[in-house]
Amino acid sequence: MKMKKFKKWIWTIIGVVLSFVLIFMSLAWSRENVSDLMKWHNSKMSPVIMIPGSSATVNRFDSLVKKLNNGKKNPHSLLKVKVTNDDKLHFTGQIRQGDNEPIIVVGFENNHDGYSNIKQQARRFNIAFKALSNEYKFNNFKAIGHSNGGLIYTAFLEKYYSQYSSRIEIKKLMTIGSPYNFNEKSVHHKTQMLSDFIDDRKKLPSNLDVYVVAGTETYNSDGLVPLGSVMAGKYIYQGRVKHYTTVSVSGSDAQHSDLPQNNQIIDLINRYILDSEQQNMRNNRNTPNLNRK
Amino acid sequence: MDRLLRITTKVYSSKIMRIIQDTLKMMFPIMLLGSFAEVIKICFLTPTGFMASIFKITDWLPYYRGIAWVMVVTFHCTIDMMALYGAFGMAHFTAKMYGEKTSIAGAVGLMAFLIISFQPTDTGIPNFNSRLMSQGMLFSLFVGYFCGRVTAALVNPKKDELFQMIKPVSVVIVFSAITNVLLGFMGKLDAPTYVASFVTQHTQSNALLYVLGMGVLTNFLSWIAFGGPFVNSPTFNDAPSLANLNAALKAGSSWNVPFKFTDTTLYHSFADFGGTGVILALIIAILIFSKKQNNRSVSKWSIFPAIFNSHYSMMLGIPILFNPIFLIPFIFAPLINMSIAALLLSIRWIPAAAYPVPSGTPGPLIAFIGTNGNWLALILGIILIALDVMIYMPFVKLADRTSEEAGNEDEEI
Repeated sequence: MKMKKFKKWIWTIIGVVLSFVLIFMSLAWSRENVSDLMKWHNSKMSPVIMIPGSSATVNRFDSLVKKLNNGKKNPHSLLKVKVTNDDKLHFTGQIRQGDNEPIIVVGFENNHDGYSNIKQQARRFNIAFKALSNEYKFNNFKAIGHSNGGLIYTAFLEKYYSQYSSRIEIKKLMTIGSPYNFNEKSVHHKTQMLSDFIDDRKKLPSNLDVYVVAGTETYNSDGLVPLGSVMAGKYIYQGRVKHYTTVSVSGSDAQHSDLPQNNQIIDLINRYILDSEQQNMRNNRNTPNLNRK
Repeated sequence: MDRLLRITTKVYSSKIMRIIQDTLKMMFPIMLLGSFAEVIKICFLTPTGFMASIFKITDWLPYYRGIAWVMVVTFHCTIDMMALYGAFGMAHFTAKMYGEKTSIAGAVGLMAFLIISFQPTDTGIPNFNSRLMSQGMLFSLFVGYFCGRVTAALVNPKKDELFQMIKPVSVVIVFSAITNVLLGFMGKLDAPTYVASFVTQHTQSNALLYVLGMGVLTNFLSWIAFGGPFVNSPTFNDAPSLANLNAALKAGSSWNVPFKFTDTTLYHSFADFGGTGVILALIIAILIFSKKQNNRSVSKWSIFPAIFNSHYSMMLGIPILFNPIFLIPFIFAPLINMSIAALLLSIRWIPAAAYPVPSGTPGPLIAFIGTNGNWLALILGIILIALDVMIYMPFVKLADRTSEEAGNEDEEI
């Protein structure tokens, strides 16, 4: 009987000690977690993340960024991330301290065309995106994809984005000359990719602004991608996202590969994708750590 | 109390109740170990789990993926397919009660339930409906009972003919196929999102009543082995939780959140200690007050899973399922907890639980972490548990008396 009582006491003491350990450990965890979340929530950074098209490297947007920064007092810094075939990330360039709107380019060692490659590139983009969001703790970003880059973004948004959607908002997406239906001119012949994209369109974020830009060298093509294939984007995005706008650009530099350097498109990016500097200033004046939604 | 005792004794002496009891007893050891696997997987070996978060287990434990995989398999094939075992056991014991050819009846029940739960899915490839498998135990008991009766009725145990089994099997196949098609027509109601939209669209007092009502419904449905609206653990992805989290992060504390009364702030934070129906309190009550050896050892074994909010072993082992004695505290203890918490929330003694909580957080710690370490919320959790132990106490004593009166006749399997 005495033994039994003794045993009971031992168990009670162990229980109490364990409870205290758990209470204090979870308190520490909670404090850390919440302060992490606060950083996220109050982060002012809103990067522009760009994905180049097939056969292009992370240097694809160099001249675009140069043109964007032309005459700006606070130029956007440029960070390039290359994902190699072993899923490792290689960084070049860096984000300047205090730059709230850096440009990040994510490219892939395997930059080949084709649906299976695009799916793989979307998976690799997700790896890079996860690392970037953990490192810089931004709570919103803007997206630009040139050519297949726009397809990678679409695949990413439909397949991977939901795990971030509660804390990272994608505000705007611009795809430039993205062949949503590959080389098919007509949507009567839907490629496997397009029908997959349409099937999963429900998973697209509903508060997103989408700009689909097409280059037109002739009346129905930018020299490489048929206009009908770019315009097929409406079957994926229209009516599903908040705004869906298509723009077709002609004139000089309207050929598919020249599109990222096209002055009209740079103007569109300045106007529709980037936060205007005035707005930045106004927000900064009102509150020091405002959540910029 | 005496009337409750009489009702219980009467219910327990009915044939169908004895069959259910036998089925639950058969399932108990399997589900007990299954719940161990569930807890180890979800709390210890998933990076977002409670123990894994606070002790960073997944960072230092070697081979954790391998161990986690074994746990996933165990959990998936036991608790996640609970209804399957229910169908087997129910058919087996029904046939045993009414006839003799029992082993085939179990197989028939299994087959019927497999046929019924094989449903088309969103991906286009049909698969066994996981919801039906894990939460459709009540339904599977019906199916099993039906199969057992059909087998017992159509098979003559005196004749040893292989082919007389054809008759019950074909009857059951036809019925299950029809049920399968009927179930396919019924739409899936997505309860959690429905709750979330209700909370955001109505006034605070309406939302409070609604959450309390849904809590009662969840507990009642668990008692009859049927998944309720709040069975899913809090996801923090529904609209009111997100709005609360955003408001809390903006203000730096969770005192002024827009939605004070949600399933997260009330039900999951204060009414779910140890799983549905504040099972943790029942375990403590049994360990203190009960003299029945069977219940005591079930409770001891259930401590570990119940600390991390897995209640299956208690539901089956005591059993709580279909047990009239425990219905009242099983519904009222959580209701009282939620009401007290709502009262303290509205007079601003405690802030609302708005911050994310890792899965498998022990009951009283949920509100503590959810409020980012509000000590009053922790103390409230402990007081509520003590209160719930008091609520359960008379019923535990009553349960001891029932088994005395029933004469322990149904102790063996």
